[in-house]
Amino acid sequence: MRSRNTDKEELVKQKAIELIIKDGLEGFSMNKLARACKISVGTPYIYYKDRDDLIMKVAMEELRVMEEFFIRDFDPEEPFEQGLRKQWENRYRYAREKPKMNQFFDQLRSSSYQEEFLSGFMPGFISAMTRFMHNITERGEIETMPFEVYWSIAFGTLYNLIRFDIEGKSLGGKPFKMTDEVLWRAFDLVVKSLKK
Amino acid sequence: METALNFNHILLFKTNISSHKGKQLLHTLLDKHPAVQCWNIDMEDSDYVLRIISETLSHTQIIEIINHHGYQCCELT
Repeated sequence: MRSRNTDKEELVKQKAIELIIKDGLEGFSMNKLARACKISVGTPYIYYKDRDDLIMKVAMEELRVMEEFFIRDFDPEEPFEQGLRKQWENRYRYAREKPKMNQFFDQLRSSSYQEEFLSGFMPGFISAMTRFMHNITERGEIETMPFEVYWSIAFGTLYNLIRFDIEGKSLGGKPFKMTDEVLWRAFDLVVKSLKK
Repeated sequence: METALNFNHILLFKTNISSHKGKQLLHTLLDKHPAVQCWNIDMEDSDYVLRIISETLSHTQIIEIINHHGYQCCELT
């Protein structure tokens, strides 16, 4: 009698993410997954129709988790500096609690699942950020610039520091550890450069 | 479309159906089969896993049908 085994289901999901990060999407198969979980090759097929179904369902679930982190206590009506600070807090917390997920999403972004992946991309979050951008632009809080420039300054800085922190080193192999002091000093400079 | 899945209704098979022709045959055999709720085949997998949702059909019945049409099919364990 087959019954739902939530532990096994969770193991399949976590191992799938691990394998995709380690070997890439091309190297990922249901067979490999079953072996890595030490379960029969049929078991992943109980929870998922096929490889594509597994990849998309896992991706969508992880996107939902990321969205929850990003929008927590974020109010798009807040002034620029407060809103951006909340985004930095939330994204940094996500990076610390789920350090490998960016690699997972990178795999998907540059794959044949790209379109499907992007179409399901955090609608609640997109809506809140669109509102926030509209507000800060309308209020004249930030300098005028292409969105890509804004994003690169507003978040590129943060993501670079996170990358250095995860790798434990910055340029030229110089050891690096993120501290609150470093993080919020960077934030202050970002705000200074973007604010009108 | 699968809703509230009873895992006992999920039948899994290892096959040698790797071609478009083979998949077309499955469409012919299974699409309008009254006892098949839905089905799919994972052509990306080396076992060409056939997955059938059916409340009444058994593994043996499916294996017989597929074998009869010249393809290998056995229960995936």
